[in-house]
Amino acid sequence: MHGFVRQLMDVDIEVIAPGPLPTADVTVLAQPPGGHTELAEEALGNGSHVVSLSDALNDVEGLLKLEELAAKADRSVIVGAAFSPGLSCLLARHGAKQFDRVDEVHVARMGTGGPSCQRQLHHARTQEAVEWRNSGWVKRPSGTGRELVWFPDPLGASDCYRAALVDPLLLSASFPEADRITAKVAATRRDRLTAWLPMMRRPHKDGGPGAVRIEIRGIQDSVQTTEVLGAIDHPSSVAGAVSAIAAEWSLLGVLPPGAWSLGMLDNPLPWLQELENRGISAAVYEGISGT
Amino acid sequence: MRALRRAILAMGVGTVVAAILRLRGSGGVPPRQGKWRQLSGPDFR
Repeated sequence: MHGFVRQLMDVDIEVIAPGPLPTADVTVLAQPPGGHTELAEEALGNGSHVVSLSDALNDVEGLLKLEELAAKADRSVIVGAAFSPGLSCLLARHGAKQFDRVDEVHVARMGTGGPSCQRQLHHARTQEAVEWRNSGWVKRPSGTGRELVWFPDPLGASDCYRAALVDPLLLSASFPEADRITAKVAATRRDRLTAWLPMMRRPHKDGGPGAVRIEIRGIQDSVQTTEVLGAIDHPSSVAGAVSAIAAEWSLLGVLPPGAWSLGMLDNPLPWLQELENRGISAAVYEGISGT
Repeated sequence: MRALRRAILAMGVGTVVAAILRLRGSGGVPPRQGKWRQLSGPDFR
């Protein structure tokens, strides 16, 4: 929340506790996951644009169903405007632009933002993961599918596992022809051992540096190609910046109406360039990255 | 009583085996040749 407020220099911001929403041009739902759909409906009723940072499956599914309501109200409901989802979706869209056909998109993430983000990830490690396979959804147990993923330096390699992450849900609309869309998250042995238990200690105020890595496989100029993009930063800072851009551009009226995620944008370039202006840069991997 | 002891022993052994299976291995180190390059320019390439 502090990161978000720091990004908006010339905007009046009212931070409110749960309760009736005031009338506003833009409502940013930055509270812990759960109940975002109901609040978004209320905000739309007030004539407000909505930016949600939730990374919970229930919230995301509910928010995407507000498409008709948002389009009718000529307002935007921007779903998953954070680090992952958010920056991860932008990188996936950007990386896929040079492909003639995208066959697979694999998202991997390391790190968390604030305490509620850490609680949500702890919860996600015990829920069923949802993956897009051959034009349909399949559920897989969390904690499976170990894969050693190379994140941008200096974070380097980390084992990643399935969890109830929303990136596949938000990217499938843009890549309906893809064979596989998956998302995994880095975990230590302790994370895996304690995933089924309540959190042993109070979450940190900030999870520290994190990273996302997007691997896209497909056909480019009749050749099977793999593109790997990534970014390294504090997830809380990135979430603040992405949601601040979404709020600012909603105020300017330059965003399309309806309920959508950053993975559904036709052109993610302006978002990535604005993020770079704010000090959040992305990288491409050049070489062989066996995972 | 003997059955109870056997059940507890079986559960203990099962727990240890499950923990080993769940935590074993580190994933190995794959071949890696290359480096990360920051995206830049008007096309962000």
